[in-house]
Amino acid sequence: MSKRPPITNRVRELREEHDRISQAALGEAVGVTRHTIIAIEQGRYSPSLETAFRIARRFGVGVEDVFGWEGE
Amino acid sequence: MSFREKSAWVMGAIMLATGLWYAQLVAAAPQAPVIGPLIPYVLAVIVLSIVAQVILAVASPKEADAPADERERAAIDRAGHFSGAVLGFGVITAIVMHIGGWSATLLVHAIVGALIVSTIAEYALQIFYFRRATR
Repeated sequence: MSKRPPITNRVRELREEHDRISQAALGEAVGVTRHTIIAIEQGRYSPSLETAFRIARRFGVGVEDVFGWEGE
Repeated sequence: MSFREKSAWVMGAIMLATGLWYAQLVAAAPQAPVIGPLIPYVLAVIVLSIVAQVILAVASPKEADAPADERERAAIDRAGHFSGAVLGFGVITAIVMHIGGWSATLLVHAIVGALIVSTIAEYALQIFYFRRATR
């Protein structure tokens, strides 16, 4: 198994804060599949910069409010 | 399991089953004209692939219509890269064996075999990359 990307995220937390939007609905809103949202939430996949911005904009926050560097 | 992973499993299984069948046909008559096993093999792959893709698309029409996303594209590209190397290795090996005395018929079968193996490797690697951590 390869090393996990050193990027943390608050996607699940933000989904729950925003009317518990489903993984599928978030995926559709930002142009990725539900499985990619699951992989992001589990820390198995770091999205592209464009998708990171789309996710942040969907929640009305900045990219750094969604994604962070491990240990910081 | 995502639509593309299901598709990779099904297509990999089809390529494996038809590949074994092709190998059996060739082993039964190694020096027979290439067309003999090749035409039924190609027809079987085409028909089974169409039937499988139609069944998968009917079962998940929305996912089937959606293009691959960035994570899936990265997995598909990486799998294609490595399967290309498998194909190249198989073709070069077949040519070397031909130079070493294999007939032209066996050369063609070996190249078709390399294509089959590289396609199976491509689907297997797609599944691997869909599942593992990806940057």
